[in-house]
Amino acid sequence: MTAASATERFPEMADYNMIPAPRRLQGKVPKSGGPTPEQAIRQALDLAEDLMDEYQGWAVDDLDKLWRAFRDCGDIGVTKDDVNRMYRISHGIRGHGGSFGFPLISSAGDSLCKFLDGRNTLGKGELEVVSLHILVMKAIFRQDLKGPCGTLADDLPELLLALRNKIDLAG
Amino acid sequence: MSGYDFSNLRIMICDDSRQIRSLVNTFLHGFGVKDVLEVKDAEQALAEMAQFDPDLIITDWNMAQTSGLEFVKRVRTSDESHDPFLPIIMLTGYTEINRVEMARDSGISAFLAKPVSANSLYKRLMAVVDDERSFIRSNEFFGPDRRSGRRQSFGGDDRRERN
Repeated sequence: MTAASATERFPEMADYNMIPAPRRLQGKVPKSGGPTPEQAIRQALDLAEDLMDEYQGWAVDDLDKLWRAFRDCGDIGVTKDDVNRMYRISHGIRGHGGSFGFPLISSAGDSLCKFLDGRNTLGKGELEVVSLHILVMKAIFRQDLKGPCGTLADDLPELLLALRNKIDLAG
Repeated sequence: MSGYDFSNLRIMICDDSRQIRSLVNTFLHGFGVKDVLEVKDAEQALAEMAQFDPDLIITDWNMAQTSGLEFVKRVRTSDESHDPFLPIIMLTGYTEINRVEMARDSGISAFLAKPVSANSLYKRLMAVVDDERSFIRSNEFFGPDRRSGRRQSFGGDDRRERN
């Protein structure tokens, strides 16, 4: 196998102009005189402490929205709009969780996004997968599982992947 | 020993999540950035651009009405663009390879995967300041040269490799 050339990967590069960027940031950001990276990151984390503490309060609202969207699917068949609604909420949850100190929430949200992405409807087994993801997220909050969480950080995505695969292979 | 002095930077944060805007803003203040403007969507960002005159934009992808991708394309190529060369960091929960390539092809300067951390944001800021790539103008694209710095422009965990 040979690597594709630049023009194969980017066909428009056969006819292009290269323009030097103004690089204005380099004139505005001296590479010395500011805090060290360690100091800057520590300051940032200290300042963000209150926001992190508030996260669980409003994250519960996100989870409630997801639960309502799931419940609204009802018995008359799940539409593409229903799936998209749950995907959008899960996408938000995966972005928020780890950003505010709950990486396991991001893992569960990411797994649910992967499961929902590209689906037009959900059958009974697939709805159970969604339900289990929501229950996992609720359990993470209930147990206050913040931070790296040791081996669980590796185990949880694997377990959720196995769950998704089980349904997908059965279907 | 000291590090980068970000105190003169003016940064615009465009994200429809108030919480993410607050978090990124707080991190930036911790890094020493003093002038930050939060906007909730691309339309507001475009409206505020000339007045605020940002040095850098950090934008979400998945926003109502105008997406982050469309926003980047408008900054890069629209006739009314305030500055087509403006450095843009795309901050998003999308980490699938095709999504990363779509973001790159829209003309972003750097990609930062959510969840965002102080560490990953600081690294992205340094990378954008140090970015020496030229811009490419062709019939289909205007933005930083995509043939270099490809891996360096990805920040955050690589979830594709784990799952």
